[in-house]
Amino acid sequence: MNVEIATLDLSLRRRSTIGYCVGMALYVLVVVVLYPSFKDAANLDQLTESSPGVAALFGISGSLTSPTGWLSANIYANFFPLLILLVTIGYGAWCLAGQEADGRLELVLSLPFSRRRVVIQKLLVLTILASVFSLVVFLFVLVGRRFDLTFSVANVAGATLGVALLGIDFGLLAVVLGAATGSRGTAVAIAAAVGAASYLISSMAPLVDWLEPFRYASLFYWATGNGQLDEGLSWTSFGVLAGLGIVLSLLSVLAFERHDMSA
Amino acid sequence: MTGSAHAIETHRLTKRYGQARGIDDLDLVVEAGEVFGFLGPNGAGKSTTIRTLLDFQRATSGDAEILGLDVRRDSVAIHRRVGYLAGELRLFDTMTGDEHVRWFSRARGGHDEALTTSLIERFQIAMERPVKQLSKGNRQKVGVLLAFMHRPELLILDEPTSGLDPLMQTVFEDLLRETVRDGRTVLLSSHSLDEVQRVADRVAIIREGRLVVTDSVRHLRANAPRILRLRFDADVDPALFAALPGVAQAASRDGQIELHLTGELRPVLETALRHPLVDLTARHADLDELFRSYYAAPGSERGPEEAS
Repeated sequence: MNVEIATLDLSLRRRSTIGYCVGMALYVLVVVVLYPSFKDAANLDQLTESSPGVAALFGISGSLTSPTGWLSANIYANFFPLLILLVTIGYGAWCLAGQEADGRLELVLSLPFSRRRVVIQKLLVLTILASVFSLVVFLFVLVGRRFDLTFSVANVAGATLGVALLGIDFGLLAVVLGAATGSRGTAVAIAAAVGAASYLISSMAPLVDWLEPFRYASLFYWATGNGQLDEGLSWTSFGVLAGLGIVLSLLSVLAFERHDMSA
Repeated sequence: MTGSAHAIETHRLTKRYGQARGIDDLDLVVEAGEVFGFLGPNGAGKSTTIRTLLDFQRATSGDAEILGLDVRRDSVAIHRRVGYLAGELRLFDTMTGDEHVRWFSRARGGHDEALTTSLIERFQIAMERPVKQLSKGNRQKVGVLLAFMHRPELLILDEPTSGLDPLMQTVFEDLLRETVRDGRTVLLSSHSLDEVQRVADRVAIIREGRLVVTDSVRHLRANAPRILRLRFDADVDPALFAALPGVAQAASRDGQIELHLTGELRPVLETALRHPLVDLTARHADLDELFRSYYAAPGSERGPEEAS
């Protein structure tokens, strides 16, 4: 199969992807290296216990000083999902709507590729970007095992998969919005707003009673908000994240096949 | 491919953008093996037509075929056999000309090596530098190369010479002639009549989304209005002539009276001979004047831009 559109996009995104990966790798490395200095700091736990609202804003719940609590509070509950969203929403909005706006998508569409194949290759790139970024996080989290972080590799791998799927889903949302509207700005704005709302709902729900039922509507709950680091990614969570991904993929093909390219 | 198939054929092709006009009931036939000039001012609907033919956007109604294939259903097969140069060409900034050629070749499944080499040589294309470092004209040459390099049966070129210097325009025109000599077809969209009349066999003029005329360049020229210049040894009011049958336009210019005549000569001569007529010259309007007379047809807000 001719995957030239995918290789082109990957080469065009190479620099920014390497940048994100290196930055995130350094951050994760600092977090795991610092763990031995904080694991006995009982006052940290008191801090989160005394002001759970502030802690929740950062996606923190439960112990900060346990190995998984440390990883969750510093990586999995906030920076990792938010940064992967930056990568995937950024690519998702750029790959169709952004390239359309700058006139380059037309060049690609004048070649013998059906609209469907164009979209499928874009989705392939989206998946690769999210996977590479997540893999980097996972590998550097594994380094933490040398720094007193004891955890189940399988469960952390599951949690990492959850965040990768979260990123892909939001990236897909941006692809669909971009394919439907042709506007990169609209795609970024709506996908980012949904992401922010989703994050807040999931992290605040344990504290705010009336939010509780809404957390099931938040992808963050299914990816990181449900003890995934300790218990792994449940099949239900995987089903929700992957199922939504399939639905959004189909929608993106349908939207782009119907789309009138703007001049 | 059958010999009789038209390269392009549209049937009542219409594209509307909400309230805004795109193209309206366009019936266009481009024969295989000709350079077909597609003329009109900016915004007349040339790019809209081309973008609909290439399935970048879908017609509101009507249909179109390229090389006997439906532009919507068979777009992939069509794109394999067509070379396209966009009106506002955008390349991938960080890639060099060479990288563009390699990528396009892989995406299309091959290209004509000898043709590519000769085009690079003839157009003196800088292939090793990232295209963002090239001037507009040099980027345009890369665009020309990408459209021609796989020796397509049909070339759809939207304002192809924009940015090319006069020397390169000549090279480009030679390339178009060679292409049709090869039995291939060129749709050449342009707002410059000058460019089109040098290479095109037939032209269509489009104005405000509607086809005004389709004809051969030779025939258009032959039917163009005559322009008469009359010099008198006295002041004569041009209005005397403006009212005569067959006179489309009458004005004083440089002490002479200039008439655009579409009808009989006799009434004009009879009127002229009642005054001290010193000199008379007549010629056919050139296509530029003809072109402007079509643009300024009733319904347009602006008249022809005449220097006074």
